[in-house]
Amino acid sequence: MIPHGRRCLSTSSCLYGKILLRKKPRVVHEIAGVEPITYADRMHFVPGLARPKFPSWERGWKEPNHYQSPKLEDMPLYKDKPCYIFNQRTNVLEGVRQALWLSKSVLIKGLPAQIVTLAEDPANQIESQDETVQNAIKNSRLWDTTEHRPPRERFCSLLLNRLLHLCGGLQVSHPELAKRILAEKYSLAVTWRRGEDLFQVRGQNGLLLNSMTPLPVLAGQEQIQSTADQALETFYPIAPTIDLQKTHVYLENHDTGFRVDYPYPYAHTLFLMEMGNTPKLLPEQLCAKMVMFTFGNALARAQALYGKEPSVLEKPIVVQSVATNGRLFQFVVFQLNTTDLQSDSGVKNLVWVDEDQPLYEFAKVKPLIKKKVVQVPAGLSGYQPKTFQKFLALYLHGAA
Amino acid sequence: MSVNLLSFALRSLSLGCRTVSSQIASLPAASGVSAALTGRRSFTTSACDLQNQSLWKQRDKYSVRPIGVKKTGGRDYTGRIITHRIGGGHKQRYRTIDFQRLRYEPGKEEQPIVEKVVEVRYDPCRSADIALVAGGSRKRWIVATENMEAGDTIRTSSAIGRMAVLAKEGDSHPLGALPVGTLVNNLELYPGKGAQYIRAAGTCGVLLRKVNGTAIVQLPSKHQIQVLETCMVTVGKVSNVDHNKRVIGKAGRNRWLGIRPSSGLWQRKGGWAGRKIRPLPPMKSFINLPSVSAKS
Repeated sequence: MIPHGRRCLSTSSCLYGKILLRKKPRVVHEIAGVEPITYADRMHFVPGLARPKFPSWERGWKEPNHYQSPKLEDMPLYKDKPCYIFNQRTNVLEGVRQALWLSKSVLIKGLPAQIVTLAEDPANQIESQDETVQNAIKNSRLWDTTEHRPPRERFCSLLLNRLLHLCGGLQVSHPELAKRILAEKYSLAVTWRRGEDLFQVRGQNGLLLNSMTPLPVLAGQEQIQSTADQALETFYPIAPTIDLQKTHVYLENHDTGFRVDYPYPYAHTLFLMEMGNTPKLLPEQLCAKMVMFTFGNALARAQALYGKEPSVLEKPIVVQSVATNGRLFQFVVFQLNTTDLQSDSGVKNLVWVDEDQPLYEFAKVKPLIKKKVVQVPAGLSGYQPKTFQKFLALYLHGAA
Repeated sequence: MSVNLLSFALRSLSLGCRTVSSQIASLPAASGVSAALTGRRSFTTSACDLQNQSLWKQRDKYSVRPIGVKKTGGRDYTGRIITHRIGGGHKQRYRTIDFQRLRYEPGKEEQPIVEKVVEVRYDPCRSADIALVAGGSRKRWIVATENMEAGDTIRTSSAIGRMAVLAKEGDSHPLGALPVGTLVNNLELYPGKGAQYIRAAGTCGVLLRKVNGTAIVQLPSKHQIQVLETCMVTVGKVSNVDHNKRVIGKAGRNRWLGIRPSSGLWQRKGGWAGRKIRPLPPMKSFINLPSVSAKS
């Protein structure tokens, strides 16, 4: 929307409507002790005399069509110390290592033991689980539209919603699953200090599953204390603040995204969908984004419960996360043990990452035929049941 | 009618009414662009064409993101062909290269810059390859040297000690700090201006000798130039060394590169044609004080 008074109507059509760059005004040098003689008294232009400088006129009230925002330094929220913000468009260069340094955590590959046993327990499964899941995949990829290749934005969200619906059907046998609710488009805001810099996680994350009861703690006290001996990985010469949005105008906000009297206060699982449009994330960077957002959610919850003072938590907070691009799933479980993130030493947080789990290999409408040999058949092929078992285990964790 | 237009335009310059816009755009009404921006009407001239032609490359802030290029086809703002044999070719996006290696991050001046090479890739806008390097909390594109690979660490320092530094390929030092005989590229003529010489694929200059405060470098054309010893230079040969050995193969490949065919008219060759064997021109020296604009 071009503001009033800034449209180029009198120039050629290729410049029509464009907001061109403003030319810098002519530099007027001021010589101390010498006043320029201007034509202000004569009330008309006189060649040879200087251009007078009049005081700028203030309208007195704010008109939106002619509003010029103040410079950064004059804004009320301007601070000298910069703040580095991680938002949903951030694509960190160093990936998971940078996310671990920012959240002061230690990485463990693979899911924790409790979730693995939940996944393999046959009592926790839906009846004819493989068939129903394959039906759900076919529904979202093959039977949704008459196009040959439905766009990723379409089938990714459809598939995730269908899988969540399947998992929710287990409420019959697990009544505690009813105490959960999904929420989307909520804005998270959390601030913390790390070293001498200020960091924030802001913005809309994705789909969040909230529950009335908190998740049980995964790692025992010995494991937590043993993390205090492990050193954080640095990546000199790259600074940990690379690729984060640096700003001087900010507000140190702490907001879980929900009101204080919300009946489902504990964040359970965050579902991120990676559709590859803004911006396209490699799996390493998607995991980093997941880690940062789960950490943000956990820290916001900790600050709401225990206040803003940095300290080691007696009851660690656990938040899970699942990210998918329609076929590959990444699972992250984050346990927040301490909010004392200023120094590099001491107890650290724990992150379990299980990445690149394919749910199926191919789901094609038309078979891929090369040189009269069928390379990939039509329909769903290469289904992996373990991925959905892990998905279900993460869903049931805390209620089973 | 032209007098009417002129008087109409100049009338808008009267002092009594527009005090806000007089602060903003102080240019006279002959330039149609800025006048129209502030809501004043005026007549069109070719000033807007001049500005629009290079608008795509006028950015204040450095960004690693590639920028769309507007092709000119060898034509200037009048529309006539100024340079022949340019036109067409594959679409290209320009990656802003930082030729000033010694650009400190705000807040970290006077420390040697250490950076890590993130990726080395092809650049459609030049013959050499470019490298994305990251150091501190900024990323930038530089011209890659011969054996640069992803994961390497490169240093840039402005210190000139009594002993010459052991030159490592890819590092950037002032000419006074390098031993005589090193192969160098991306040479600055004036300190702080940015590299202007020896940037093409596979080229390298040789540091011949150092003479009290200045250094003499031999360029790839065998010309010798004298520059101040504080000028920054990168060590090694520029990447893509086999660029001159490539075979175009067909006319179409030339067209993909944006090179149009030459005129087929037979023209008698004059004194400019043919190989010339003559002595080297005298050494050019660039050690007079640089102008104010070179520092910006």
